[in-house]
Amino acid sequence: MDNIVELKQIFKTYITGELQVPVLKGIDAEVERGEFVGFIGSSGSGKSTLLNILGMLDVPTSGEYRLENIEVSRLSDYEQSEIRNRKIGFIFQSFNLFPHLTIEQNIEVPMIYARVSARKRRQRALELARQVGLGHRLGHRPTQLSGGECQRVAIARALSNNPAFILADEPTGNLDEKTSDEIMKLFHRLNDDDGVTIVMVTHNPSLGPHYDKIIRLRDGRIDPTPFEWERIPS
Amino acid sequence: MMLMSDLLRMSFHNLLLHKVRSILTSLGVIFGVGSVIAMLAISEGAKRSALAQIESMGIDKILLFSKQPSRIGVSEGSTNASVVESYGLTTRDLTHIGKMDNVSSITGLFNSRKKVLKGLQRTDLQLVGCDFGFLENSPAKIESGRWFSKTDFTKENMVCVIGKNVKRTLFPIGSTNIVGGTVRVEDYVFRVVGILDNPYNSQYQGIGGQNDMILIPMPTARACFKSYTFTKEARMFQITKIDYDVLLVQVNDTTYIDNTAKRIAGYLNNVHGQTKDWDIVVPLELLKQQEQTQNIFTIVMGSIAGISLIVGGIGIMNIMLASVFERRKEIGTRRALGAQKADILMQFLIETVFLTTMGGVLGIALGVGIAKIITYYSAMPTVYAWWSVVLSLVISCVVGIIFGTYPAWQAAQQNPITVLRSE
Repeated sequence: MDNIVELKQIFKTYITGELQVPVLKGIDAEVERGEFVGFIGSSGSGKSTLLNILGMLDVPTSGEYRLENIEVSRLSDYEQSEIRNRKIGFIFQSFNLFPHLTIEQNIEVPMIYARVSARKRRQRALELARQVGLGHRLGHRPTQLSGGECQRVAIARALSNNPAFILADEPTGNLDEKTSDEIMKLFHRLNDDDGVTIVMVTHNPSLGPHYDKIIRLRDGRIDPTPFEWERIPS
Repeated sequence: MMLMSDLLRMSFHNLLLHKVRSILTSLGVIFGVGSVIAMLAISEGAKRSALAQIESMGIDKILLFSKQPSRIGVSEGSTNASVVESYGLTTRDLTHIGKMDNVSSITGLFNSRKKVLKGLQRTDLQLVGCDFGFLENSPAKIESGRWFSKTDFTKENMVCVIGKNVKRTLFPIGSTNIVGGTVRVEDYVFRVVGILDNPYNSQYQGIGGQNDMILIPMPTARACFKSYTFTKEARMFQITKIDYDVLLVQVNDTTYIDNTAKRIAGYLNNVHGQTKDWDIVVPLELLKQQEQTQNIFTIVMGSIAGISLIVGGIGIMNIMLASVFERRKEIGTRRALGAQKADILMQFLIETVFLTTMGGVLGIALGVGIAKIITYYSAMPTVYAWWSVVLSLVISCVVGIIFGTYPAWQAAQQNPITVLRSE
C-alpha cells in the first residue's frame, strides 16, 4: 500500500477568547498514490480547515498527518515551506495568478522558490504549458486569458515541481459549466495518463462521479454513509 | 531561500510595476539626500575658500607683525604736541631671526603710511618698501613687466612694482603703457617696472591686501622716509619710528614650525621686554584651527539635512506597510506555493532598499543641481567631495534597511490562511 496522505485522528479546535470551537472532531483518511479523491462537504462541515491542514497552512490541534510517510504537522515553518513547495501543488478557486507576470513567469514561481535555474525553469514552463494546452500563450498575461485558461495556468503552476499530490480547492467554483467540464477532463487526463494524485475539496456534490474515492465531511466528522449518485438529478 | 538573482529581479520588477508610486515614495529620500549633498557641498566650498585664504599667507611661513603697544605709561615726549614713538620689529630682529635654525629666509615689509591720492581723492592703496626676496615668498606672479633688479636696490632707484588693484585704481581702463609709466606719492615719483597679480590677494596685518600695494625697494624707502613715518591725527602730529611692519619667515621644515615659532617668540620676548609691540601668526596653526571649526560646521549642517532623511525613511515605511496590506493575497499565494518567511521578508526588504537607493541616486543629482544653482546665483563656491556621494548612497541604503525591516517583517508574519480566505 502506497499512501501519499494519511490522516489519523485529526482534531482542530479554534479558541476565541474563552470559547472553544471544535471544527474537526477526529478525521481519519488516506489517499493512495495515483488516486483522485474528493472531499465533499457543505459549508461549516470543516472542509476549509481540513484543506488548510492538508496544505500545511495550518496545524492540527492533535492527531497525525503523514505525507509520504513523514509526520509533517510538527515541522518548523522553514521545513513546512519546503514541503509545500515540493510536495503539494496548490490550485485555488480564484486561480490566484500574479496579474503582472506572464503565463510563463506564473508557472515558474514555485520553481523559483525551489532554486531551479532560469534555463531549466523556462524549459519546464514550456513543457507544462503545452501539457495543459497553452503552449502558444506563454507571453500573455492572466488578464488576457479566460477563466478556464487561467485555471489551466494554475494547474501547470501546481505541477511545476512534480508534487506528491495536487490539492485543489473548489477549482471549478468560478467557472461556467462547460469550462468546468473541460477542467475536470484535464484533471482526469493528468490522473489517468500521468498518474498525478489529486485531492479535491469541494461543496459541489455534482462533481461526485469524477472521483475514485469520495470522503464526505459532515459537522467535523467523516460521514460513513455511501454517496448516493442516484439522488442527484442530471 | 530563493536565489539572490531571482530575488533582485523580482523586487525590481515590482517597483517598475508602480513607477509613479515608486518615485513618489522615494521623494522623501530624494530630497533628504539632495539636501545632504547640497549642504555638504556648500560647507565644503566655504571650507576650501577659507582655507585657501589662510594658505595664501603660506603654510610654510611664520608671519611677524609690528603692533602699536597700548599707550598706558608710554610717553617719551613731554608735550602732546609731538611724540616720537618707536616700536615694532627692528632690523636687528630680522638679522637675528634670519640666522635661526629651520629658517631658510626672511624678508620684511615696511609701510610708509603715505596717503596715496588719485587726483584729490584718498585711496586704500599703500606705499610699501620690500626686500628683494619678497616675490619668492609670496604667491604673487608678475602679470607684466618685471620684478626689481639688484641694481634697483643698490642704486636706490625710484621704481615701483604695483599690484593689479593699483593698476585699476590709478590708471584709466585700457591704458596700455602702464609699465614705464609713473606713480606719484606726495613729492615722490616712481617709475612702474612691473605689475603683480596675487590670486589670493594675501592680506598682511597693518598693510592690507597685496594687490593694493605699491612696492618699492627697501633701500629706496629708507632713503626717502628713513624709518620714520608721520601721521596727523586730529590735532596731534605724530612721528613713529618703525623698521618693519611685517616679517615673513620662511621655514625649511614645516614639521617643526611650532618649535621655530616658539623660539622666535621667546627671542622677541627677551629683546622687546615688557612692551608687547609685536605679534606672531603661524598660518599652518590657523589652518588647523579653521579646519576643525569647519568640520564641526559640516557635521552640524549634515545632521540637520540628515533629519529630512529620517522623515523620508518614515514615509517609505508607511507606504511599505500599506503595500503589505494591499498585497496580502500575493503574499499568501507565494507562501502557499512554497515561499519561506525569509523569502517574503527579503523580497519586501530589497524592494525598500531599492527604493531608497534609487532615491539616493536621484537625490545626489538633485543635490548637485541645487549646489550648482547656488553657485550660479550667489557666487558661493561649492565643492562636492567624493566621500559625500559615497556616504549618501550608503546612508540611503541604510535608511532602506532600517525603515524596510518592520514592513518586511510584517509581510513575513502574514498568516496565509486568513489571507487566502479573504477574497
